[in-house]
Amino acid sequence: MTNAFPFPFSLPRLGVIAALVRRDYLVQRSYRLAFVLDLFYGIVNLLVFYFISQTFTDVATADLSGAPSYFAFASIGIAITIVLQAASGGLAHRIREEQLTGTLEALTAQPITVPELSFGLAAFQFGFGMIRAAFYLLLTGLFFGVSFTQADWVGFVTVLIASGAALASIGVLLGALVLVMKRGEVLTGAITFAMGLVSGAFFPIAVLPGWLQTIGSVVPTRFAYDGLRSAIFEGGGWGGDAVALIVFAVIGLPIGVWCFGRALLQSRRAGTISQY
Amino acid sequence: MKSNGAVLSIESLNRRFGRREVVRSLDLAVEAGQRIALWGPNGSGKSTVLRCVAGTLVPSAGSVRVGGHQAGELAARRLVGASLSQERSFYLRLSGRTNLLFFARMRYDNQREGVRSVDALIEELEIADIAAQRVDRCSTGMVQQLGIARALLGDPVVLLLDEPTRSLDAEARGRLWSALERRPHAAALIATHLDEDVKLCDERVSFPV
Repeated sequence: MTNAFPFPFSLPRLGVIAALVRRDYLVQRSYRLAFVLDLFYGIVNLLVFYFISQTFTDVATADLSGAPSYFAFASIGIAITIVLQAASGGLAHRIREEQLTGTLEALTAQPITVPELSFGLAAFQFGFGMIRAAFYLLLTGLFFGVSFTQADWVGFVTVLIASGAALASIGVLLGALVLVMKRGEVLTGAITFAMGLVSGAFFPIAVLPGWLQTIGSVVPTRFAYDGLRSAIFEGGGWGGDAVALIVFAVIGLPIGVWCFGRALLQSRRAGTISQY
Repeated sequence: MKSNGAVLSIESLNRRFGRREVVRSLDLAVEAGQRIALWGPNGSGKSTVLRCVAGTLVPSAGSVRVGGHQAGELAARRLVGASLSQERSFYLRLSGRTNLLFFARMRYDNQREGVRSVDALIEELEIADIAAQRVDRCSTGMVQQLGIARALLGDPVVLLLDEPTRSLDAEARGRLWSALERRPHAAALIATHLDEDVKLCDERVSFPV
């Protein structure tokens, strides 16, 4: 089995990834009520932060990464968090679903490579996260008075894609964890939430203790939030963050995919691929 | 049982789960077109052998080669069509045809070829009514027929069928065997505990080994 997961990897077949995306879309579409409730939850989330910002109106904006108000800062954090959680936790979530529905063995018996499997399983979640984030950003602009007139949309999209690639490497690692540990989704949820916490998703990192700020300064989500807020509210200053994210992705993705392949092999050795 | 022209070659296969040795020192060579029945009671290791050939399980010792490739390698998985445990191996909220089209995409680089192949299999196995329904509305026997259709996608060199007739009615059983007849090039490894299945095979390997 040593050659089952060759390194370096061949390029994934786009048709296979498209098939996985289409399948996930069709399954998602079949749960219409869940889809609506998810959107509703996002709107409630925005409202919570809106009323918090209304309660504390005299917050100093110096540490808000250029955001004109706390609500503007937090709403961008909410929208971006959706994408980042999809990138970092999407694969782990899908692997767990495949385990529970019993389709993982049928899928891995097919002639599909490790990159195709890992990227294909995560792709829909990521794309869906992007659409949801765009929807919430639209809402904040239309109904909550957040202005995007300064936004550098090219920078925003660049940093968003770089963020997705960087966090996908963590996502593939977390997917490997779920393959081996089965009920690892609690851990993956905790890790993605903690990354948001120390990176300034919902409040400026200046309010964190020093040691947490130190941790926050090296996790990729920090560069993602900083870069995206800079692009939206300052219209520039995102270049350094984008470079850091791209470097993280270039190093992290091959490592993540290799680990995922090893986890798959370990599951085949242990005979647990059809277990949940 | 060894042969130089084998498309499937199993040598000294051993598989254990913890302390329990499920398969011990199995040697088997299967040539193109041969049908081998793995015959034995439940829990005797038949499905374990099929999983080792499909590549979803790694042998504890010994080797399994498909068309010269180690089982589990991408090249080996291209050559194998498997119908393993059916109960939970489809996306329940999608139709049978959508499921088959999805799995076909893994085996055909050309999407149109995949669609043609799925539709041809649906016609051949006479499962149009089944394929049109959501899988969660299908009976066990209906899902089993979808599983057989999936195994036949990509014109595999080696077919792995785990209790393929268990939940099938007489007509569906007939269609399954006819489909195998129409594929004289394909070797088939059929796990079963039914004598009528064994009679339609060229050879029987009794389990436990």
